Amino acid sequence: MTTWTDRTWFVDLTRRDAWYEERPHHEVADVLGGSGFGWQIIADRLPAGVDPFAPENMIVLNPGVLVGTRTVGASKLTAITKFPTVASPDGRFYIGSCTSGGRYFAIGMRQAGCDRLVIQGKASEPVILAVRDGGISIEPAGDLWGQGADPAARALVEREGADAGVLTIGTGGEKLVRSALTFIDRTNSLGRGGLGAVFGSKNLKAIVARGSGSIRVADPDRYNRVANELCERVLAWPRREHWIKLGLAAGWSTFKHTQNPGMWPKERWDQLYGEEKRLESLQSVIACASCPLNCRLRWVLPGGEFDGEQGLGSPYSKSATSGQLLGIEDDRKMIHLVTEANTTTGIDFYTTTRLIDFVTRMAEDGRIPAEQDGITLSRDYVTYQRLYRMTADREGLGDVLADGWYRVQAELGLDPSEYWYAGVVKGVDFIYDARPSRFHPLMMTFLTRPRPHHGGSHTRTNSRNKTLEEIKDQAAHWELGDEVMGRIFQETSYSGKFNVGRYSAYMEDLMRVKNAIGLCTIYTYQALLFADDMARLYSAAVGETVTARELIRRGERISNLAKLVNVREGFTRADDQPPAVWFRPMDAPEGRIEIEDYYQTKVLTRDDLARILDDYYDERGWDPETGHPTDERLRSLGIRATVPS
Amino acid sequence: MISIEGKLTIWPERCRGCRSCQLACSFARTKEYNPTTSCIVLERDLDREKTAPMIKSLCCDLCGGAPACAAACSYGAITYEPDASDAPLEKEAA
Repeated sequence: MTTWTDRTWFVDLTRRDAWYEERPHHEVADVLGGSGFGWQIIADRLPAGVDPFAPENMIVLNPGVLVGTRTVGASKLTAITKFPTVASPDGRFYIGSCTSGGRYFAIGMRQAGCDRLVIQGKASEPVILAVRDGGISIEPAGDLWGQGADPAARALVEREGADAGVLTIGTGGEKLVRSALTFIDRTNSLGRGGLGAVFGSKNLKAIVARGSGSIRVADPDRYNRVANELCERVLAWPRREHWIKLGLAAGWSTFKHTQNPGMWPKERWDQLYGEEKRLESLQSVIACASCPLNCRLRWVLPGGEFDGEQGLGSPYSKSATSGQLLGIEDDRKMIHLVTEANTTTGIDFYTTTRLIDFVTRMAEDGRIPAEQDGITLSRDYVTYQRLYRMTADREGLGDVLADGWYRVQAELGLDPSEYWYAGVVKGVDFIYDARPSRFHPLMMTFLTRPRPHHGGSHTRTNSRNKTLEEIKDQAAHWELGDEVMGRIFQETSYSGKFNVGRYSAYMEDLMRVKNAIGLCTIYTYQALLFADDMARLYSAAVGETVTARELIRRGERISNLAKLVNVREGFTRADDQPPAVWFRPMDAPEGRIEIEDYYQTKVLTRDDLARILDDYYDERGWDPETGHPTDERLRSLGIRATVPS
Repeated sequence: MISIEGKLTIWPERCRGCRSCQLACSFARTKEYNPTTSCIVLERDLDREKTAPMIKSLCCDLCGGAPACAAACSYGAITYEPDASDAPLEKEAA
């Protein structure tokens, strides 16, 4: 494959048919190719209002434009679909994208001549897709159906070869648990919000991808020079040694402040879940393709009930937060739940443990009866473990939990907005809470993105205590010009020293760029790669000279397409509201924790956040009342579609 | 005729599986990226999800004395020493 052509394969599982369309780069360049053009396909071809589990729903898998080249962190696959998370009490669903790295799958797709895979229809019986040299075949899943996500992945690698890329779902995805994920190459999860359940609804267990073709760039020498320079920069990073030793087990010193649920004293949390504890089970760190900053983990639990149990992925941060919420002091018990999900069921640990926390606490407080369908709700590990499995199997009360927050509301009369850790937006619980985290731009994008998850949007502002100069320096590489920079860094009474609303608009656009080209977000999170570096790489790869400003402009086009298709689904500004719980002080053992601006100059009010949202829409040129793109803005971006009336 | 001008050493335990060696090797040979045509195969142990590079010796010409794979490996899993008598394995043992 070359980076200057773009080939989309289409598969119709109902008709058992596969075909492709190929375009020269200039026809996809206005949205960068990759997932940018994936969004264009969704905007053009996914009918509004289809049920996420209906055959008409589409899954669009997009390796980044730079995937398969030797560029630091260029390993990512972005998936776009209508997610099955019930996003509102009246039953709407958002169309979103999710992104993840890997070692074999995305490269395998491109080597097999597939820059993008669009899956529609529903197979009459369980199948897998095989993306190989010469085309795509639909094959019986056989006994893979019913197997866990990891045993299925392993069986496929054993069958296809050690360098075969695999994407699998677990048993929860087969049973349409609405949080179910997919897993790439055993080590990377993809699709919070239920991508795995959409696979299940299509009777699609897995995809294997393996090819032998070359990836060619337009200007190989120039591309290689830039790639080498960027790699040298990453290797010189002073914190690299610590990072490659721990991977995603690193970062506890920041994490224990930003994600603190405020129930235990911090020293206790430190002892039970801190870095020393992580080292007791961490075995090895695994890199995604072309990444000198590895982060994926392999762990083996030492001693206890689950002695010797091995898992792959990244268990530590999520188990620490949910462990505190559920009051489980033995970290191994929580890591076991991560292992069970990553290996077998494929359900989302965050959402499932938050829901279990919610219903068991509400039963303890007498808000709902403790006796529920198939289980007595109490606050102990045995109950949690059972509920976890009942959710994955859709058994008894688990069937309600498997449908998410609004089904819990409908069946049990519990309002999701009452959930105490971070709350819920568009039917999705948060991995951070804005009170301990502060209201930084990532929290903002949880409100404004169609799918409320970070999705690869990190910048320097997702760490605490970065200087304003450091934040300005990173933004200067966006090449936005003095006027825009002046607006972003104008101090206000409601957002502090920089304007989170205006900053977030460009941060989201840069996320669209990173996802389209396939670059991991860790590099912008740690300020190692900048927007102008991406412009140099992209230019040499596709043979078209673009600036950082132009890249971000194209990212803006993708953001508008993504918004537009969600406007068609009925989403408005009313869906972008911060949860009420953010404005209630968290009573932690160390004292009250309230939602503050990045530099902690003031406690923020609802009105402050409304003004920040106003600025976000204003910066985007969207209607501040509805939150919808205006026809004028769409025209100025060259987007043909219009806002539905 | 393969010209051996130094010693390429594989350190299997250091490999993190990033495939940079394969991508760099194929690029050095063809100016295209292709793990399949590189002179390196990644052995993979699925029990531990562990990889290690193996050099196809009839394919590798040590890039004329500056092997791209060793230069590309960020984890020190492939190293190159022009002077073969200064064996790194011996150094580490000492």
